[in-house]
Amino acid sequence: MTTISPTMSHPQTENQGIEPTPVPLPMRVAIIGAGRGGTALLDVLHQIRTIQIVGIADQNPSAAGLKRAQELNVPVYDRVADLIKQQGLNLVMDVTGDPAMESVLQKEVPAGTDVVNGQTSRLLWLLVQHESTLQTELLHAEKLAGIGSFAAGIAHDMNNPLQLILGLAENLTDETDLEAVHLQARDIIDAVKRTTAICRDLTSYSRRSSLRQDCLISVNGKLDEALKIARYAVALQDIEIRKLYQPDVVVKGNPDELLHVFVNLITNAVQAMEHHGTLTLETKAMAAATQVCVSDTGSGIAPELLGRIFEPFFTTKPPGKGTGLGLYNIKNVIHHMNGTIGLESHVGRGSTFTLTFPGESGADERRTRP
Amino acid sequence: MSEFKSGFFVGGESCNGRVLVVDDEPDIRKVVRMTLQKAGYDVLEAENGEKAIETINYGENRLLLDVIICDIRMPKVNGIEAIAYFRQNYPRVPLIVLTGFPDTEMATSLLRQGVVDYLVKPVEGEKLKASVARAMEQRELAHL
Repeated sequence: MTTISPTMSHPQTENQGIEPTPVPLPMRVAIIGAGRGGTALLDVLHQIRTIQIVGIADQNPSAAGLKRAQELNVPVYDRVADLIKQQGLNLVMDVTGDPAMESVLQKEVPAGTDVVNGQTSRLLWLLVQHESTLQTELLHAEKLAGIGSFAAGIAHDMNNPLQLILGLAENLTDETDLEAVHLQARDIIDAVKRTTAICRDLTSYSRRSSLRQDCLISVNGKLDEALKIARYAVALQDIEIRKLYQPDVVVKGNPDELLHVFVNLITNAVQAMEHHGTLTLETKAMAAATQVCVSDTGSGIAPELLGRIFEPFFTTKPPGKGTGLGLYNIKNVIHHMNGTIGLESHVGRGSTFTLTFPGESGADERRTRP
Repeated sequence: MSEFKSGFFVGGESCNGRVLVVDDEPDIRKVVRMTLQKAGYDVLEAENGEKAIETINYGENRLLLDVIICDIRMPKVNGIEAIAYFRQNYPRVPLIVLTGFPDTEMATSLLRQGVVDYLVKPVEGEKLKASVARAMEQRELAHL
């Protein structure tokens, strides 16, 4: 299984016989200040496998970055002195903006450890924010590009009820049986409602991911929602769909982004099966983690491509059929959720993508969003 | 309206012609049936290409089926596969495509294969009836 994980140094392959690449020693970094700047740095730095965040310090115990650090298993300190005396620090990043902190660090940071603060620190924060905005834009652009492939599915689902509405309305112009008139009028109303639902689903899906804070998401509900969307992109009528859902499975994250991840995985799976085969959606709540598996019985992925499929702009689809950003964006979303992606694939037999998230199962259902 | 389920035609009075409607959406079969029955046609239904092939191969349908109206996107045997079968095995039965998705390339290819008309839903009753009437003329010419 190839695992792409923010906490692992390199992808590893169990069944394809690829040896892990030697890992250089990570740069050991401490972050001072857990406000917006510290939180943004945490989110970016924890994704970089050559950086180890030794800890984050803030005097304010309710600072947002401290909570985020705990979610990412980064040690939290309320005293700066305790953090900077950690062994082997390469870099201290001061994002407090406090001039007094500069003098404290000048005195206490050991020789051989670099310090970033003041305007340099501010510049760094701006770059991090810019990177985060670009990533959001990229996700949205890829989603919109994908919606282009929905045309056939949307046309099918819109034009069928429209045909019913037109046919019944034409018939009503000379229908004399009052009971038939009532029945057909009701059929027209139902058809209009179905058409409206299509528009609602799609406008909701195509909107920019909300910037609201992460919340608990019902995974089973989100997978069902993704199936509804994916059927516009790929024909599901000849696909056997197996749902192995454990009840009440939840994860923490952005619901719009997770929906996008599921739609992409399901669409890829169905395309790999060339529209005939079995799609299995499985959810598992374990003691310390939650897992979502999307499996297909399709063509599988060649071993030599396994290491590249999460790269940006890498695609095996014909020109115009794929942006090459789908799995790259999935990886970014899952990393933001502090999760991992595993992939097991056998040529000619199919693939399984396994998403593993830190345990939120059994959490308070009242906070769960559909 | 008669309650004719997908499949097998079991006889009937002489009429303007016998039409097989192939579509996975019951609603579509229902309105097409409604329109064509009012115009004096006998209407058979099939919910996919597989059922359509069964239907045309059943009893007197082999000889008496006049026109097929076929959707494209359907489960099991889709419209493209079914049309290829009909063209090969029943080349004298005119075919009309009635699809939800306009695709110029596909339309060109199907018309080249001998499909009489390529209609995109929603299609008005008058247009559908005119198309079936044209197909019936072709069917009659084929019998000459």
